[in-house]
Amino acid sequence: MRDVAVVSFAQSPCQAANRRDDMADILLPVIREAVYAAGIGRDDVDFVVSGSHDFYEGRTFSYIESLDAVGAWPPISESHVESDAAWALAEAWSWLQLGEGDIALVYGIGRGSLPADLDQVVPAQLDPYFLAPLAPHRDAIAGLQAHAAIEAGLTSEQGMAEVVVRCLDAATGNPLAQRSGQVDVARLLDAPYVSSPLREHDVAPIGDAAAVVVLAADDAARRLAERPAWVRGLDHRMDTHYPGVRDLTTSPSTRRAVGRAAELAGFTTSDVDIAELHTEYSHQEAILTNALELNGAVVNPSGGPLAGRPVTATGLIRIGEAARQIRDGNADRALAHATSGQALQQNLVCLLEGDG
Amino acid sequence: MTEPITTMPSPFRMDYTYVAGTGRSVFLRGLAERRLMARCCAGCEQVYLPPPEFCSRCLRELEPPFELDGRGVVSTFCVVSFPFPGQRIDPPYVVAHIQPHGAGTRLMHLVREVEPEDVHIGMAVEPVWVSDDELDTSLLSIRHFRPVHYGGADA
Repeated sequence: MRDVAVVSFAQSPCQAANRRDDMADILLPVIREAVYAAGIGRDDVDFVVSGSHDFYEGRTFSYIESLDAVGAWPPISESHVESDAAWALAEAWSWLQLGEGDIALVYGIGRGSLPADLDQVVPAQLDPYFLAPLAPHRDAIAGLQAHAAIEAGLTSEQGMAEVVVRCLDAATGNPLAQRSGQVDVARLLDAPYVSSPLREHDVAPIGDAAAVVVLAADDAARRLAERPAWVRGLDHRMDTHYPGVRDLTTSPSTRRAVGRAAELAGFTTSDVDIAELHTEYSHQEAILTNALELNGAVVNPSGGPLAGRPVTATGLIRIGEAARQIRDGNADRALAHATSGQALQQNLVCLLEGDG
Repeated sequence: MTEPITTMPSPFRMDYTYVAGTGRSVFLRGLAERRLMARCCAGCEQVYLPPPEFCSRCLRELEPPFELDGRGVVSTFCVVSFPFPGQRIDPPYVVAHIQPHGAGTRLMHLVREVEPEDVHIGMAVEPVWVSDDELDTSLLSIRHFRPVHYGGADA
């Protein structure tokens, strides 16, 4: 295996709705920042890969517009995943492992504000036979999962509110967060349900942002970063598509992904100082903490998705934030998790480490 | 044996907001005033019409907008002769790439007020704008392009 590290990370502010910038305009300054921070030029990038979703953009091959911000003139090695951009990072990591090049630029664009009504869009992501005809509310499947998790004793409405309070408090240190502040649990619990037992604060606020991670291999990584955040292990797995087949209180795909990532990394999650988890709903923190067997790690010091969820950029931001903690010397080992699909259907785990 | 279900209704309706961005907005706002606003890249001297906010080759912000009169030549065209749902005009009609004088890019639009068989690559054309009350931040502010004759000869 080659040693591959995150050497740079940048993101735009999470906004509820960016009505000023088109896709390329959101992305260009973020790429500039990430490339500048790595001390490289565009010509030094060997591979470009991105993640986004046409469901959010409302047109096919929508990400093509973002390539105007990349300098995508042939010859270029370029790819895209129709998913969270954390999966694009997985592709870049594999590409670097093949030895085709030394530096990869990964970006995610998430514009959750473009669909006028997510209740129209979410059913299109479900199977057309049994689920889509029911036109479930966007948070209905998550509500089923939250209720089951409470019944299983994993969390409670109070516990979920406490997760939100902790995340929004942490986000006061994150100027790019969409939501932050000091709130109290009792006040949160006074709010009405959106999809019981979920209240508005339990649902990660959807919005718009772009994120960019620069990966580099071996000597290039050592040259570009004072303290590279080495990707020691990375794996992604998925559970079956139909939620009714699953026990929603567990996440076998996360368990399997972290097992494989730990095997590659040579350390386990009990050695991890911080964990950035892609919690689209507050109750998922308990399910993920169990599946990942986290033990004492600080969870979502950036505030996490409950402080801002720019849809398909959200998972990549977890990796960028976890890497930042290592590069800044706040952590020696970190875990980043990303998810895609309904109720934690697909999961990715990335284990990072700084030089000792 | 159970007969397989071969069809089922799947009625989706999804409404979206499109964000034009600052670059496109310059162009679209110009159209509402019968003005074609172009922008030049100082790095490669490409003149974009319509202009984005920055040059996708040089990745630098484009220079301030300036107006072109819209006269140009047909750089390529095809004759649409097939009817389809949602079609606005009866076929056959000419869809063309217009190369406006002073622009480095081409604008797609209709060429009318001429028989399709008389259209040719290199033909000089000019925009025909809609009436004041129909003007909008849309390419439909140009109704179509039509041949223009400079003393009887093509430009």
